[in-house]
Order: sequence, then C-alpha cells, then structure tokens
Amino acid sequence: MLRVAIIGCGKIADQHLLAIDRIPDCKVIAACDRELLMADQLAERFGVASCFSDAREMLTTARPDVVHVTTPPQSHFALGKQCLERGSHLYLEKPFTVTADEAEFLIGLATQNGLKITAGHNYQFTPPMLEMRRLTKEGFLGGEPVHLESYWSYDLSDLTYVGPMLGNRQHWVRQLPGQLLHNVISHGIAKLAEFLDEVVEVNAWAEQSSQLRQLGGQEVLDELRVMIRDKKGTTAFFCFSSQLRPGLNLLRVYGPENSLVADILTGSLIRSRNRSFKSYLTYFLPPLLNAQEHLKAACANITNFVRQRLYQDFGMKELIERFYDTIRSGAPPPIRHREIILTARIMDEIFAQIYPNRLQSPETGQVDKSDNKLLSTLR
Amino acid sequence: MHKFVSDTYIISREERILVTGANGFIGTRVVQTLCEYGFKNLRCFVRPSSRLDRLEVVIDKFSGEAKMERVTGDLLSAEDCRKATEGVRVVYHLAAGFDKSFAGAVMNSVLTTRNLIDAFLELGQPKRFVNISSFAVYSNVQMKRGALLDETAPLEDSFQERCDAYGFGKLKQEELVRQYGSKRKLPFVILRPGAVFGPGKQDLSGRIGIDTFGFFIHLGGTNQLPLTYVDNCAEAIVLAGLKAGVDGETFNVVDEELLTSREFFRAYKRKTGISSLALPYSVTRLLCAGWEKYSKVSHNQLPPVFNRRRCAAEWKGNRYSNQKLKDALGWKPRVSMQEAMTAFLGQFNGKDS
Repeated sequence: MLRVAIIGCGKIADQHLLAIDRIPDCKVIAACDRELLMADQLAERFGVASCFSDAREMLTTARPDVVHVTTPPQSHFALGKQCLERGSHLYLEKPFTVTADEAEFLIGLATQNGLKITAGHNYQFTPPMLEMRRLTKEGFLGGEPVHLESYWSYDLSDLTYVGPMLGNRQHWVRQLPGQLLHNVISHGIAKLAEFLDEVVEVNAWAEQSSQLRQLGGQEVLDELRVMIRDKKGTTAFFCFSSQLRPGLNLLRVYGPENSLVADILTGSLIRSRNRSFKSYLTYFLPPLLNAQEHLKAACANITNFVRQRLYQDFGMKELIERFYDTIRSGAPPPIRHREIILTARIMDEIFAQIYPNRLQSPETGQVDKSDNKLLSTLR
Repeated sequence: MHKFVSDTYIISREERILVTGANGFIGTRVVQTLCEYGFKNLRCFVRPSSRLDRLEVVIDKFSGEAKMERVTGDLLSAEDCRKATEGVRVVYHLAAGFDKSFAGAVMNSVLTTRNLIDAFLELGQPKRFVNISSFAVYSNVQMKRGALLDETAPLEDSFQERCDAYGFGKLKQEELVRQYGSKRKLPFVILRPGAVFGPGKQDLSGRIGIDTFGFFIHLGGTNQLPLTYVDNCAEAIVLAGLKAGVDGETFNVVDEELLTSREFFRAYKRKTGISSLALPYSVTRLLCAGWEKYSKVSHNQLPPVFNRRRCAAEWKGNRYSNQKLKDALGWKPRVSMQEAMTAFLGQFNGKDS
C-alpha cells in the first residue's frame, strides 16, 4: 500500500484525491497546507487521517511514500527539495518549477536519491494522446515529425480566476516570470516537447487581448504565438489564446507520410492518410474519410462512456497510476525527464523574450544565463 | 432619517461601520439603509475588480449627509483587512465568493472571515460582527414535506454528498464565527437569508427550478418559497448590527405572505414568456436518487450534482417563519410581497410575452 500525502489543499487538490480514489493499493494519509483550515476542509471531506500546516513536520511525522505538491509554483522547488531529501517520491503539479534550472536540480536530486519524480502534465495521458503515442511508435507518421502544432486556449470571461489575479499585484500568478501565461501554457508546450529533440530556436510574440485590457489587465499578456525549431529540423508552432472560440486543446503532428490530430477537448484522434484520388474524387472522398474518422472517435467515446472509461480527469488518474506503478516496479517514469526539462527551458526562453526583465525565481534568485544550455545554443 | 429608526442602538450614528461586499446586490441596499437610518460614518469594502456602479449611486446620494469611505482590497490579505477594520465598531460581513469548488468556497468564505475578524479584534472597537450566512446550511432530509424549517432545524452534515461547495463554505464560516464568539469574546449575530430577490437580480432561485439542460424545468411545484425582498432583507441585516441583547443569536430572514414556487414562477413566466417543463417532486426525487447512485458506482463519472440531499434541500418543500426576527429585532417587512413582486417583475418590462 502506497502512503500518499498532499501538500497544497486548494482547488486542484480535490482532483488529485478523486483520481487517487480510483487507484488500487494507495491511500492518502496526510494533508498539508500553510493554512490549516484548508488542510482540515480537505481531510474532512475525503477522510484523510492527519492534517499539517508545516511540510517539514508532515514529512517527518507521516513519512509518506509519495508526495503530491499542488501549491503555487513559487514553492515547488523548496517543497520538492524537502520531499526528495526525506525520501519521498514526488509528483509536482504544473508548471513543474519556476525555471528550468530548478527543474534540472530537482530531477538530479531525485535521480541521485533513487526516487521517482514527475510533472503534472496529465493531458499527455488522455485517450487521444495515448492513441497518438501508440500510432507514432508504430510508425504511422512514416518517419520523424516534420512539423507540430499545439493550440491551447483559456476563457478569461470566468472572473472567479481572473478577478482576484488582476485585482492584486501581489497575487502569486502576477509574481511569476511569465505571469498568467506561466501558469497556463505548460500543458501545451509539454505536448510539443514529447516530439522535439534539442531545441535550437525559439521565437515568441505576445500581446494583451482587448478583453483583458477591458478587465484592467495592466502588464499581463494573454495572447501568445511561438515558433520553435529543433536540431533535427522539426518545427513547431504554439498558440495560446484567450480569444479564439470554440476553445482549443489540440495537437497536430505532421509526418512525412501521414498526420495525426489529437483533440483533447472532444476526445478525438483523427488520422489523415496521404492518399491521392482521381479527378473530382479529391473533393468527394477525403471529406468522407475524415467524417469516418470523426464517427469512429464518437463511437469510441460512447463505448468508453458506457464502460466507464471516459470520465473527467481520466488523464490525471492515468498519469498518477502509471507513476505509482513505476515507483513499485522501478521502471522508467511515465514522463521522460528530458521532456520535463525541455518544457521548462522552452518556457524560460518564451518568458525571457516577452517579459525581458522578469526571468527570475524567488527560490534560486536571478537565473545565471551562462548555465542555460538552450540560451547558450541560441547565442 | 427613516421613520422606523429608534434611538436604542448599540452604537451612535457617528461611530464607524464597515460593510464588506458593499457593492453587491444586498450590500448596496445595506449601505443605503444605514444611510437612511442616519449613520454618518460608513466604510465600504470592495474588491479591486468589482463593478461599482450600484454603490456609486448610493454614495453620490448620501455623500452630503455622511462620510462615505470606499476601501478597495482583498479579504485574503491580512493587511487589507487591517486597513478596513481600523476604528470600526460594527462589521456587516456580506462579502461572499461564489467559487464552485469546495476549496474556493472555504478560501472565500472562511479564510477571509478569519482574517477580517482577527483584524477587527485587533484594530477595531468591536460592538458587533454581523455574519451573513445562508439557508444553504440547513438539512431537511429528516424532516417531513411541509414541516416548519426555522432556526432550530438541523444543519447539513455531508455537503460533499450534497455536492454543495457554497453551503459547505457558509457552514464552516458560521462555525468559525461561533468559535471566535466563545474563545475570543467576539460579539456576533448570524443571519441566514432565504431566497433574496428584487430588481438587479434576474436569476431565479434554484428552489424554483433549473435550466441545466438548456430549458427551464420547474421543480418547486406548490412549495412555499423562503422569499425575502432585497430591501426587507437589508433592513433585517442592518437591525442585526444595531439591536442590543442579541449577541450570539442566529436569525432566518424571510418575508411575510410567502408565495409558492408555482405562484412566483407563473408571474415570472407571464412577464418573460419563458417556456418550461414541470416535474412533480416524486419524479425529481427518483431521478436525483438514480443520478446519485450512478455517480457512486461509476466513481464520479457523472459528478453527483443531483442527489437526494440536494433534492430535499431545494425541492422537498417546507414552511418558514420570521417570528424570531420580528420578536428580537423588531423587524417587519417594509415592502409588501405584492409591491416586491411588482418591483422584481418591473425589470423585465419590454420582455412581456
């Protein structure tokens, strides 16, 4: 039985506990939050045995096998370090850390201590992404990806999130080097990192949407476009938008022969095969074949729903379960360490370009850019 | 000054009063009522991102007669709470979060209240802390249909099962205020308003029905609604902060001549032309029980938003009393139900079917 603890009892903690509840042979034994009232409310609702307001005390007293850290990212580095030093495996919510250097340090410490570590990139484990991974491994693309596109959107009209953040300059989101974007883009970047080799070029452009301007967004940026190139020549485009409708959470992977589209929001994986048709059949058959793919996705979703394999936070449950399995078996972690670091490095570079004076972490201070491999490569 | 104002209050008209959530639907009316009562030193606490149009109208109207101070801040910040409570005698705590998550509800209802009370006890001159709670804290699962639900009714003991984050936050907030009352001698009063309605709020109470599935389903049947018109509710809140001898008490706030859900909805329908489907309680209960069961066996594949506890709380039907409110606070509704309905429905003029 794996003994699990959670540090940070805010909104996302509920999702973690609901996901863990679906996994056999594990039990949440401790809840910890700087605000004991928050730990208490979580423990009361989920029947967690002990509550703490101090992480050090929790680690010493409860001695959990695994710790999920679901606090604001500024505290990830210090808390993660404590957990790893005391021998607990670590699941860090996204964004993994504030900077890539912090990410690299924690991964190094975990490896050195023989512990497992993962990032909360749970969308990588949704059914369409799992299917995309399977097809890619089977060679469906016909070679290395030529180009990738990741789209990610976030509706800012729900003021329960944006209101407090805009109303308070000291809000933790405002204190991140990449502000709002820092807190929301890691899922979209991580999807690209899975398919990219060493990145040699990142070009980012960002601005503030008219909607955010009307809400009094001040210096916060919420429209982002990024072009990325790796050393093998694979290119990638990333788009974050608070404006486009309908909302998107999408990855397109274009190969030399065939292409794939994973639409996380609709739970669809659409295959596009390189086929040529005679004359006007070009106009008739490809749309029908596309329709067939969508119909297949709908049928799969209905079947999965009936079999209770389609539910909210499937990706999170899948990631956590695979992570726990690797703890038990010693197998490689569900997300490769290089992907976590690459995601963080790309994010560092994006924020360095769009907020030139903000790249710093409260834990490690100003990043020493000479140690930043990606930036060195770019120079 | 209003004709109902008496001189036997626990503070003078010059002493400082703080209203949190002052720009809200009820908060604005509380500020207005305090001004009408002749109180001259009001501090209105609002969030930085709030729209202030409603409050500005009241401030403009009374700024010649009273000192109307506006403080902007976040009650999650201890510093902002200190700024708000300095020199305050009475706090009307109306600020409420409507976050749908349990953690968000606790943060916005409990942590904020803790910060506010700590600052009030440190920097204020506490005479009364009026905490605005809700009917959502009650549970009528063990009560018969149509039974009287008053201040002695049982409280909900499983909000997780009821899937009601707001009610959970409000109950925890009440518990916190009572703890401060017993451990730190905080003089407090708790008010639990029923379904507050009036011009400025077009949404129907969930006790009448839901539009979750794209059309309106009327679920309230012939249940009596715990209605309170916003001006009447505001006056009850104001009196709870002023009357002597009610420390530690809890009051339900409902008006008189309460309408049934059907009466209210028919009047609303005539005005708006909305189409709807009515479900009897027996069917609603069956559907909610089925949903709850499936949610459990499927490990939350469908979140348990419909369940037996919620079904009972919202659609089972009870009777309500304002006797305690009238006896202890000397409150009586200034606006009759007929006038209240005219004012409420007036906001839909031009939308008549």
